[in-house]
Amino acid sequence: MTSNDIRDAFESFREELDEHNDRRERLIKASRDITNISKRTIFLLHRLVQESNTSDPSEYLSACKHAASKGREKLRQVQQIYASLKEELIDEERYWRYQKQVSPGLQEYIEALSFAWFLENGTLIPSAEVQKTLMGEDGAPYFPLTTSDYLLGVSDLTGELMRYAISGFGRLGGRSRASEVCSFVRNCRADFERFTPYMWELNKKQDVTSQSLMKMEDAAYAVAVRASEYDMSPDQLDQLVNDFLATASTSDDIDRDRDRDRYRYS
Amino acid sequence: MTWMISTDCLITRHRYEKYSSSFLARAFSPDESAVNPQKIREQITELDIKTRRMNGKLNRIHSTQRDAIPALVDSIRPILSSCPSTIAALAVIIPAHQYWRWKDMWCNSLRTTVFVASLCHYLTEGTLISLKQTSDILGMQDEWKDRVALSAEDYLHGIITLVNELSRLAVNSVTLGNYEEPLKISSFVKDIFAGFSMLNLKNDTLRRRFDSLKYDLKKIEEVVYDVSLRKLTPPSK
Repeated sequence: MTSNDIRDAFESFREELDEHNDRRERLIKASRDITNISKRTIFLLHRLVQESNTSDPSEYLSACKHAASKGREKLRQVQQIYASLKEELIDEERYWRYQKQVSPGLQEYIEALSFAWFLENGTLIPSAEVQKTLMGEDGAPYFPLTTSDYLLGVSDLTGELMRYAISGFGRLGGRSRASEVCSFVRNCRADFERFTPYMWELNKKQDVTSQSLMKMEDAAYAVAVRASEYDMSPDQLDQLVNDFLATASTSDDIDRDRDRDRYRYS
Repeated sequence: MTWMISTDCLITRHRYEKYSSSFLARAFSPDESAVNPQKIREQITELDIKTRRMNGKLNRIHSTQRDAIPALVDSIRPILSSCPSTIAALAVIIPAHQYWRWKDMWCNSLRTTVFVASLCHYLTEGTLISLKQTSDILGMQDEWKDRVALSAEDYLHGIITLVNELSRLAVNSVTLGNYEEPLKISSFVKDIFAGFSMLNLKNDTLRRRFDSLKYDLKKIEEVVYDVSLRKLTPPSK
């Protein structure tokens, strides 16, 4: 190539690299937005569930359903962003090229979506359901959901479930729910394990899941040990704690109440 | 879309269904299980053996007189022309459209091959090899460009290695009594540097390696300076 040829060649390289970098930047920005919205959705879900201060199981369930629908509503913003990215990602070759930029936001989205799904159904969201939220009205996916993004996304769910279980601990029926969540997470951990040889990142997430699981197990242990000191059914214990909390929040003299309660139940 | 992987797993609240083994099979077949990274690695090792042999031979340019260079390059050509078969074998393994998914595995080997091809081209023609010429030498086919191809980025990496090597050659050719070579290298490298300066590089390895080019340029300039100061260069024609 002569000097001029070199100029021309590098000019075309510049165009190519610029186009790639611009698209990359756009996707990173979008991914960041998606992460933010998803994080907020998760907080919203936690908040709504905790606010529903009800002791009635069916009321609680409808509160969960309400939270889930609110969460899904918020996640529609994410779906709109993905719809606008459709052109950037639609062809498969591009998808693989920019997967590193897309994955973080996508996993966060799956985490939020799976949490809403869990609150509503008490199950793990199937990947087909995730894909369903990421397609246009014509049924064409914005981009294909890969197994790894799906698994890494739902793997993050376990951390949220831990938070959900622990924060509900002090409430009526919270402990039995926590033990359900605990066994759900335990099963998740056990079943995701077999995929770790295929996905290095899943290994790290499994460690986090194990930690969450341990926190829940420790909490359950503490409850079991203390409950054994009383000769009461779990429901009665729940009631006891609940009554105490109710009086404690209305009475100024908490110490006196506590002394009285201790006297009454011992 | 055949490459979509469906994973249907349902966990019920009360009765937890274990994933059946077919879940695993569904999740990783047919597309993902079809790619065996081990097989890709085998081909890359094959390519590496070739590039390393060529690289070793090319090292002798620093101790070879100018008139013996063509023979040295000729001894490399057979190995270089055997590279396309390895690359073609690689293309067979990679699933359609998944070039970007796997390319990181072989980009280093490919960049070295680009370097070898560009150095051979410079030594015989005295010019810069084009991207098209390089991919032709490597036997890249249009019909599998979605699986294996030579990207501009990999080409540019190879060219930077070429400049790194030429700054060494400028020094060593003077040691061998070839005072003309540094001047040729200098103008050649300046053209390349001007080209790289046109690119808007982001903060990645290409950018860092581009930053290293100025030291090569400086080194070559110093050699040219030393040689011309002592009037060792032949009078310009």
